[in-house]
Amino acid sequence: MPASEPLAGYSTWTHRWAVVLACATFPLLWIGGLVTTTDAGMAVPDWPNTYGYNLFLYPWQTWLLGPWDLFIEHGHRLLASTVGMLTIGLLVLILRNENRRWMKGIGFAALALVILQGVLGGMRVLLDERTLAMLHGCTGPAFFAVTVAMAVFTSRSWLRATDSSPTDGAGIIRRLTLVVAVLAYLQLVLGAVVRHVPVDAQPDTFMLAVRFHLFLAAILTLHIIGVAWIIQTRARQVPRLRNLSLALVGLVVLQIVLGASTWIVKFAVPTWASHWISPQSVAVIQGGWTQTHIVTAHVAVGSLILGAAVALALYAQRLLIESPLPLVVRRELGAAI
Amino acid sequence: MRALALVTATAALVGCGKSDPPPFRLNMTNVVAKQIAPEHQQAIANILGAMFGTPDEPIALKETGLDQKKLDMAAGPVWSDKVGAKHGLYRRHCVHCHGISGDGRGPTAAVLNPYPRDYRMGVFKFKSTYTAAEPTNLDLTKTLHEGIPGTAMPSFALLPPDEVAALVEYVKYLSIRGQMERLLEDHASVELNAGDKFDPANDPAVQKLVMQDMLGPIMESWNGAKEQVINPEDASIPPDNRPAKELEASVKAGRELFYGTRANCVKCHGPTALGDGQQDDYDVWNKAINDFFKATDDKIGQIASLKTDLAKAQGDDATQIRQQIVDAQKEFNERHALLSSLLLPRNAIPRNLREGVFRGGRRPIDVFWRISSGIPGTPMPASGPAGEGAQGTLTQKEIWQIVDYVHSLPFEPASLPQKRPINASEVSTGE
Repeated sequence: MPASEPLAGYSTWTHRWAVVLACATFPLLWIGGLVTTTDAGMAVPDWPNTYGYNLFLYPWQTWLLGPWDLFIEHGHRLLASTVGMLTIGLLVLILRNENRRWMKGIGFAALALVILQGVLGGMRVLLDERTLAMLHGCTGPAFFAVTVAMAVFTSRSWLRATDSSPTDGAGIIRRLTLVVAVLAYLQLVLGAVVRHVPVDAQPDTFMLAVRFHLFLAAILTLHIIGVAWIIQTRARQVPRLRNLSLALVGLVVLQIVLGASTWIVKFAVPTWASHWISPQSVAVIQGGWTQTHIVTAHVAVGSLILGAAVALALYAQRLLIESPLPLVVRRELGAAI
Repeated sequence: MRALALVTATAALVGCGKSDPPPFRLNMTNVVAKQIAPEHQQAIANILGAMFGTPDEPIALKETGLDQKKLDMAAGPVWSDKVGAKHGLYRRHCVHCHGISGDGRGPTAAVLNPYPRDYRMGVFKFKSTYTAAEPTNLDLTKTLHEGIPGTAMPSFALLPPDEVAALVEYVKYLSIRGQMERLLEDHASVELNAGDKFDPANDPAVQKLVMQDMLGPIMESWNGAKEQVINPEDASIPPDNRPAKELEASVKAGRELFYGTRANCVKCHGPTALGDGQQDDYDVWNKAINDFFKATDDKIGQIASLKTDLAKAQGDDATQIRQQIVDAQKEFNERHALLSSLLLPRNAIPRNLREGVFRGGRRPIDVFWRISSGIPGTPMPASGPAGEGAQGTLTQKEIWQIVDYVHSLPFEPASLPQKRPINASEVSTGE
């Protein structure tokens, strides 16, 4: 079907809104990461108000020209509220334009999730509880994954599904891509544990969390490379999957570099690595620009990997159809013809 | 109201409420090693609580001279106010490595090498004072400002001076508290029997003991730190713009001292100065843990030996040995329960001097202090005098010569290092 022809069930506005929501959620995650990195979570003691003001009526001059912690925390709240309103808007569009019942369910689920996320953030402030900050850090990426899913479900590619073609091992690829998304989320949860280890935990708590995080990083990297290779060899005919799997590989490489850099800018070059990397002759600068943004980028790129993994998994479910004949038979048929 | 209900509902959902603030904990390795009775542990905790308060509400006791405002700024949970003034600085910047009690057992401690400093002994590595003296405020400020290159201790150069000053005050507070705890534990272990009361509030003699005999000397040492600074004589300080030949001669002399028997730097830093000398020594912090492990192992042997004795003993002797076995087994159990929570002891590996990484600072005066007063708590000995007017192993001139040699090491051709430890005369012959 040509792209210009009307597509049943497709709403330009719903899709665009879903894309805008996902695009607005990503910087929200980044700024949320920045709040944790700079320990700005308790810069505003009340919630949902900001120093007694309604969130939206807080004097903008004080916000923009005030202390950094306040700027970041209040900014995070404002952007979060915007994302909340965008979610409501998307739900309205879905209710108006969508015939798919399950899509409406997802719209409501997204709204519930964003409200829960807001409440968790608020409680983290009211109770000054770092465990809640960790939960808040896990729910955020989950919501981002839902927004990506909604952007996928409302897209032309999903509705049209013309890219679909018979693929050997489609079922396996579909399952493997789902595993990528699940592992990517688990890795984010472990990352949140690493970031929010309680201050009075045992001295090996962080080490255990880091080891699990590294172990899963290795598994996830190998898995993503494997899935990308299978897609490049068996599902080359589906450009969306091909591109998404390559993008995932690129993101994972970036994430590994950011992860190693995070360690170095936080804890300096480890002693065991000093044979290969010269130790710094000056100490790392706590709270410096480099440290702050590398650490936060590592957190944010983790969410981006999750988003890409979710998109890949969903498109794989939709666009890959199991080949009716095995590859060998088809090759023989082709040769005969 | 609706928001409140939502908050409560979610709190119930996730099953959490405001958790208790983290407390100071006793040094259990010391408590178990010294077999301090539970009632005396409680008494020590009470005394420390009355003298120093809690991590959320520290007390700047008048006798300590600590600044309450600075402690309040550094202690407690992390938050910042409307004008950006930050609170809970210790938990914001330090606690993850150094721990709530300043015991160097924060949640990240196990992955760091070296382990974060345990302040409770009152021993600090990098300072300008004589070996046994405490560091000055300036020393601690310098460590915070510059960090410790080559380790996970970062530089806090971006913090405003008042925040650094508050952190310095809090580090001193934790250190004084830890030193006090150690003295109380020593006293309880040696002087108190089961059932003895140990309550300064109701016993003037105990009050005098705690405030004058224990806290007094600790504070004397901290307050007198400024008078203990090692100031090299002006005449001995080499000028910055020395002629090349003069510097070369100084480096050569420093090299001879390095490999010689008097300074004997080669023993630990190795014939190549790569830190490949003696590798099996411990610093005081790791030695304490290592001793605890060894003593725990020894308990097994002791119990076995007592059981052998019991087989031969009769009557009262047997009863006595049985009691000894019960006591030894109890101590072993207490020790064993602690083992899994301890950081495994690590050897003090001498510094590789060819990397150009100077943990205590790279200025000539920093390296001079390291050589003159050694690195307290570590196997690095003092080569200068132990105090004002005392005689050191090396003269100030000789120390400056070693400083010159150490500074030249990262640039020394790789063929120059000695192949093996040798004595001074062999070096001079070789030259």
